[in-house]
Amino acid sequence: MAKPTRLAWWHLLVVLAALVVAVVGAVLLGAIDLGWSRVLGEVWAQLTGGRSPLSEQESAILWQLRMPRVVLAGLVGAALACSGATFQGVFRNPLADPYLLGAAAGAGMVVTILVVLTPSATAFLPAAAFVGALGGVALTWGLGRSAGAGTATLLLAGVAVASFLTAVQTFVQQLNTLTLQQVYGWILGGLSTSGWGQVLTVLPYLAVALVVLCSCSGLLDVLALGDEEAASLGVRPGAVRLVVLAAASLATAAAVSASGLIGFVGIVVPHVIRLLFGASYRVVVPLSLAGGAIFLILADIVARTALAPAELPIGVVTAFTGAPFFVLVLRRRQT
Amino acid sequence: MPALVVAAALALTGCATHSEPPASTNPAGSTFPVTVTPAGGKAVTIAAKPTHVVSLSPASTEDLFAIGAGPQVTAVDKLSDYPASAPRTDIDAFKPSVETIAARKPDLVIVYDDTNNVVAGLEQLKVPVLVLKAAASLDDAYGQISLLGQATGHTAEADKLVGDMKSQIADVVAKTPKKSLSYFHELSADGYTVTSKTFDGQVYGLFGLRDIADSAGGAGDYPQLSAEKVIAADPDLIFLADTTCCQQSAATVAARPGWSTLRAVRNGNVVALDDSVASRWGPRVVDLVKAVAAAVQKAS
Amino acid sequence: MTALRLTAVTAGYRGRAVVRDVSVHVPVGSWLAVIGPNGAGKSTLLKAAAGLVPSAGEVLVGGKSVAALGHRERARAIGYAPQTPSLPDGLTVTDYALLGRTPHLGPLGRESRSDLEVVSGALARLDLSALANRPLRTLSGGERQRAVLARVLAQQAGVLLLDEPTTGLDIGHAQSLLELVDRLRKADGTTVVSTLHDLTLAAQYPDRVLLLDNGEVAAVGTPAEVLTADRLSRHYAASVTVLTAEDGSPVVAPRRR
Repeated sequence: MAKPTRLAWWHLLVVLAALVVAVVGAVLLGAIDLGWSRVLGEVWAQLTGGRSPLSEQESAILWQLRMPRVVLAGLVGAALACSGATFQGVFRNPLADPYLLGAAAGAGMVVTILVVLTPSATAFLPAAAFVGALGGVALTWGLGRSAGAGTATLLLAGVAVASFLTAVQTFVQQLNTLTLQQVYGWILGGLSTSGWGQVLTVLPYLAVALVVLCSCSGLLDVLALGDEEAASLGVRPGAVRLVVLAAASLATAAAVSASGLIGFVGIVVPHVIRLLFGASYRVVVPLSLAGGAIFLILADIVARTALAPAELPIGVVTAFTGAPFFVLVLRRRQT
Repeated sequence: MPALVVAAALALTGCATHSEPPASTNPAGSTFPVTVTPAGGKAVTIAAKPTHVVSLSPASTEDLFAIGAGPQVTAVDKLSDYPASAPRTDIDAFKPSVETIAARKPDLVIVYDDTNNVVAGLEQLKVPVLVLKAAASLDDAYGQISLLGQATGHTAEADKLVGDMKSQIADVVAKTPKKSLSYFHELSADGYTVTSKTFDGQVYGLFGLRDIADSAGGAGDYPQLSAEKVIAADPDLIFLADTTCCQQSAATVAARPGWSTLRAVRNGNVVALDDSVASRWGPRVVDLVKAVAAAVQKAS
Repeated sequence: MTALRLTAVTAGYRGRAVVRDVSVHVPVGSWLAVIGPNGAGKSTLLKAAAGLVPSAGEVLVGGKSVAALGHRERARAIGYAPQTPSLPDGLTVTDYALLGRTPHLGPLGRESRSDLEVVSGALARLDLSALANRPLRTLSGGERQRAVLARVLAQQAGVLLLDEPTTGLDIGHAQSLLELVDRLRKADGTTVVSTLHDLTLAAQYPDRVLLLDNGEVAAVGTPAEVLTADRLSRHYAASVTVLTAEDGSPVVAPRRR
């Protein structure tokens, strides 16, 4: 009997175990050492209504700072990795990342302009980033369609749009150098201002997008055969691309709005999943979701503790994983 | 009383450790030419009383206008917003262009840093340039005021200003009860702060306040403290120096996740400072001292 | 009974017609070979029949117009293998063959037990069972062509359109593949249309041959009828001799001028 590559129960077990370890580690580690026994005491107290060994400030650190941050890191990581895997499937290129269609450039430009025009509107930055990301992708899509709907034209359109929007952003920044620190702080990516509010804001978008992406993961395997063969199998490549890229862009925009521009997650995680679990997107997309969550939670631990009490922008931590990763890919290609 | 003030002034100048007393060839003089040497810099000779001064340093702009040299100032950079009567232009102090400055036909230029090779460029045009770096202490600040007095021919006014400042500060400090309260001075919403070794840190030190950044283990004089660190340290006072640039206030601080548990937030001891008052080493440092004193009074 | 009927089919790219007014009917269970010089439009004809490129004229499959069929219905009726199929390197043979079941899968794309049985069967018939879990990149040329055929077979379509299925295969492997296709189509009653480069092989396996030149039908009939020296030298601008093998099928041999 034929045995296709599918998600097995042991996949889910391994992934769940890794997630639990990551979350526990993230909650216990940080700039302030709370002590694992005291944290357990606090959790017990919350459940039973008893007295907690943590002070009020420590309790606030645990529940209002660390927990939402860990959850947000997991959600953002899942969104970026899952979108990255999807982009790689659509463009049939293992180096595709979720920012390929102008999401990052769009978000960066809108955020820069907003910061320059109304420095007080920090509360609107997430919404602005979201709109900017979707706007960048929409611009790319429109440009790509006017030149034919294939993946190559989409890619080229993405490069054109990203270059233009980045140029605008740099130009605006140069005219307003005082805002540089604020803008760069956002661009380099960080989860430091998160509270539960931010988690709840992005959750609906991410939930919808990730469900769509996982359901369509099988179609990515068909798309891998090229437009002609996919059409011969009854699949409409243009329609599939539209739905899937829309969902992936939604997930990316939500992630970017919550945490700024965090790179490398969308490329590194799907690749590692592919190395470990095989190349079928039926498996790679859902496992990248979990892998991305674990990866970013771990990266956030490093961001919070490596230079404590200062914080590394999380984009720097993920970038550090990028270099050894590409070396690994290079060496594998040589063998 | 005046004798006491003079004595106090002399005593305080005697305690100066960071700045060199500005050297000059005409010590008492409002006559020119005069040679002045800024702290850590080289001697600059000013041939005649300058009438077209260009200032690219907001703190120095405030100094100039406070010592009566305002009418001699033709242009100031775009960030020199105090006093309001200062002739602001859109010269950018971060990337000054020698040509734009030269177009104002300056006979004296004041900068706080030699960016974009502006000093070399102006020297080629035979324009005297004073590099007055950020003051590291109150004495540094006083030294710069005196130097500017000599450079512009207002030594008497400069000395009077320095004396006034010293006496006002001493007065305020004396009247404020000394309690060992801890504080956090916020430079930006992502947690950048100052240690007690900085200019601001020394002002706080006048009141015996403890900086939580000193023991936090951060790097350098302007470390970053994560929110967790600040919350765990639970300072008695929080000073916000990012009210203008980043729109922070007691309300926004209280809304941050976890910050509402801090005693400074609970007791209303989150103090909003004017960004420029908190960051410049000009005559308005007196206002900073008064604001801190008021906060300490309230918190005691 | 006609499985596939093309009537006045014209197709092309960017306003330039590559296939002009082609009409042919292919009876159920028969095998039509499409031959012709380079650039004659053979691949385009196949794609037009499969509904993969827009065309004027009518293409009927099992009596129904291809243009009127839904995408999935069309994929269940027609199986198509291009000249250079893309085989995703990392996919296993089973996963690849399973892609052929796409038009039959349920709404969430989950395969059922019967889908897996069809795939197992296809792999067994193509002698690929031993390689079922190997990634495609580890297969030899001949094995890869068989894998493509397995995928097309898994579609369980009544009509198979194969564009140069023997590309890159040596004479032994080419023969094996064509024998296989012949056996399968006789067993299943599948209709086959294939383009073939090798004129002698085109004479041995298919029932009928269609000679396409410059997008138009130059001749259609049995191999013996179509493959004459005079016709071939005219359309291919080549110098050939047509001999007859023991079983009566024509053998096309090039002759040095």
